[in-house]
Amino acid sequence: MHYAISEIPVIKRFLKSRWLQWGITVVTLAVFLVVILTGLFGTPAGNHNFGIVYVWLVWWALLKLIFVPFLGRFWCSVCPIPAPGDWLQRRAMITSRPGGKLYTLATKLFRKPGSFGARPWPKFLRNIWAQNLGFLAVALFSALILTSPLVTALTLLVFILVSLLVSLFYERRAFCRYLCPIGGFVGVYSQIAPVAVRVKDPAVCESHTEKTCYTGSDAGYGCPYFNLPQRLQANTLCSMCGECLRTCPKDNVAFYVRVPGADLLNTRGRRMDEAFNGLMMLGAAFIYSVVLIGPDGGLKATARAVGTPGWFVYVAALLSFSLLVVPGLFWLCVRLSQVLAGRPRPGMVDIAAAVRKRDSLFAGYATVLVPLGLAIWVAFTLSFTMTNLSYAWPALSDPFGWGWNLFGTAGMAWTPYLSGVIPYLQVPVLLVGLIVAVALAMRTAHQHQQPSRAALPVSAFCALAVVGLLTLYMA
Amino acid sequence: MKRSELFALLIVLVVLLGLPAGLFGYQAWRTASAGVKVIDIVARAPEQGGFSPDRLSLKAGETVRLRLSSPDVVHGFTIPGLGVNVDEIYPGKVVEVAMTPDKPGRYAFACTRWCGVDHWRMRGVIEVTDPTPRPSFDKLRTGSFLPGKGVSVPPPLVGEGAGGEVLPGAAGEVPLYQQLGIDLDAMRHAAQVTPGARPSIAAGAALNAKLPQALTDSAQRRTLALADAFQTLRDDPTNAALSDADVWSLVAWAWLKDVPPTALARAETLYARDCAACHGPDGKGKGPAGLDLPGLTKMDPTLPKGPRDFTDAGGMLAASDVLLQGKLLRGGMGTGMPEFGSLYSDEELWAMIAYLRTFLFKP
Repeated sequence: MHYAISEIPVIKRFLKSRWLQWGITVVTLAVFLVVILTGLFGTPAGNHNFGIVYVWLVWWALLKLIFVPFLGRFWCSVCPIPAPGDWLQRRAMITSRPGGKLYTLATKLFRKPGSFGARPWPKFLRNIWAQNLGFLAVALFSALILTSPLVTALTLLVFILVSLLVSLFYERRAFCRYLCPIGGFVGVYSQIAPVAVRVKDPAVCESHTEKTCYTGSDAGYGCPYFNLPQRLQANTLCSMCGECLRTCPKDNVAFYVRVPGADLLNTRGRRMDEAFNGLMMLGAAFIYSVVLIGPDGGLKATARAVGTPGWFVYVAALLSFSLLVVPGLFWLCVRLSQVLAGRPRPGMVDIAAAVRKRDSLFAGYATVLVPLGLAIWVAFTLSFTMTNLSYAWPALSDPFGWGWNLFGTAGMAWTPYLSGVIPYLQVPVLLVGLIVAVALAMRTAHQHQQPSRAALPVSAFCALAVVGLLTLYMA
Repeated sequence: MKRSELFALLIVLVVLLGLPAGLFGYQAWRTASAGVKVIDIVARAPEQGGFSPDRLSLKAGETVRLRLSSPDVVHGFTIPGLGVNVDEIYPGKVVEVAMTPDKPGRYAFACTRWCGVDHWRMRGVIEVTDPTPRPSFDKLRTGSFLPGKGVSVPPPLVGEGAGGEVLPGAAGEVPLYQQLGIDLDAMRHAAQVTPGARPSIAAGAALNAKLPQALTDSAQRRTLALADAFQTLRDDPTNAALSDADVWSLVAWAWLKDVPPTALARAETLYARDCAACHGPDGKGKGPAGLDLPGLTKMDPTLPKGPRDFTDAGGMLAASDVLLQGKLLRGGMGTGMPEFGSLYSDEELWAMIAYLRTFLFKP
């Protein structure tokens, strides 16, 4: 059930125009610049610094509550971090190069194909494992990053520099697709979004041998995320930048409005790196809920004190919980489902099997982590962003904390928004997430030729996660 | 290059270059258009460096605007000699205060909120010079002449036990304890006789007794330990009919009868601001900020740690006002007691000493 919204002529023109993406990117770039400047030169008091308030409250709330659930990876297409690299590779912002040609240092310096620098992205990194590890690496320092404007600015500077460096040597958005620590979970959760870019008729693509959607053409550039649109099964790797809408000579690509979560309906052939992202994000959500917004402020201070023994305990807790405890529990649940299905496969480690076989039961069941994880992250985000979002007004008028009052809002007092309502939003969100997750667990069981009862352990896992989180919030 | 491309590039350049230029330009314009000299003072917790800058040079008669900000915790700000007081500098907020120092001199400024264990070290100095210096002034400045209303020179600002002897005050006077050669760091014995109950000033007044000159003359009285005054009165045959409690009340009255209530009220405010965190609001020496201070163990390791208990009769009655004045002026050399010589006026010092007596004496 979907509707090709791009078939409406006005919307099609709008989506195919390069001005839209460019325009939003310029705005996000301007905000990004102010974040860097206020981080470097403004007050170190986080709640009065534009950088902290607009990245970790406003942007984070927008990303988790609006962009990802409703617009998928659209944020990625207007993110300022890859923009300079894009523009340098294209040597253009608005127009397209003949043949969609891209320029990198590699093409300049190492003309010989196959020489160092002109090589394509390494095969072993063509997955989101680096993004998973990158997220965890950032998470180790997150209590510091989230509260220190300077560290936030430096972190973002590192992001933009690495992105720029990668784009100098590797064509397209290799950083976004393979390295960006944010991109991993944004991609995985964007499968929920009620929007998607897909081909209209696969048969048309089959007959189109030039594949200009991948290679680029006079009308536009090849997919920046290395996608072949006809193969797109999910939103995970598509930023909906609209490039393929421009380059398809057969008008066979469309922007669809669809049933939310449609990408998850097929639980076969799922990827382990994405499954692990779901598990890791679930673990991180729990640790964050305890450390960052829990009642014990001492934990946050400990997690912030990078390099101290207490911090190493936090690191050990975060890594072991995200990489061992949660995945281990989930693995046990999947094994249990095999036992319940009456067809246990003794002696076979599912993860090892998954590496060999594309079609893993473990990765299949891991689709439940998408609605569950997103619900949990939405609940988590609601709790701290709504409480502190009112800092956005003073920070807008006095971005550096220098006593400015640009828009007359500098004196606005801190007021928690929706404070009485948040639990009434969190509980339904978590319940909907749980229900969808359980339904997906059943579907996974059926699609993997298991009886319904085999879905019980994973369903129990999901229920445990929701009950656990609710208990935490009640406490 | 296509027109659209040029336009897009232009906009991006405007953003990348214009935005920083606009933001920093605006701050520069704000400073320049204030019409007066603007000085930014960042107040950090003392462990992080305290005030920055902590030394300012101004010209007498010049109006300046101080822009105070804190990156960490709530601080306060005071320049007692110039009557500048800012109760709260919240983290991330800017407080502006204008002032025009009229008289040349050195003025101490300090934090007035307990911002950390080393709060008392959070000090700074403003040097106000005469814009038309007379030849003799330089000589005076390098010498021991220290103008400024009741403000003596602040000692070095860092280091445990920093301070040394307090230099002459406003009138060029050497503090009493120095004139009398009192060793502030000598160990003193507790008073042998102490009152059974809290002596009452009113009860002392009601006795209509005649006090000896040593107790009516404030200069003399200040040099006496209260226990010695008690003994003198006790030994006086005219007081033979009085009970010990009456004599103690007489001592209380002798010490506090001339102190105006306004002075006590001022001292109470200062006590709450500067002393209560260590000595406790009730004067018992159990304030949260003082628990780990060495206190008198610096002199005698067998003594209990922590700040002086003002309700301890044995200790307080053995101390003369002059001794307390010295302790307040100079601080406790390693005991954890800060110096207040640079922050209190003469009147405030004596008022504070009188106030400390009220922990033992009731009205």
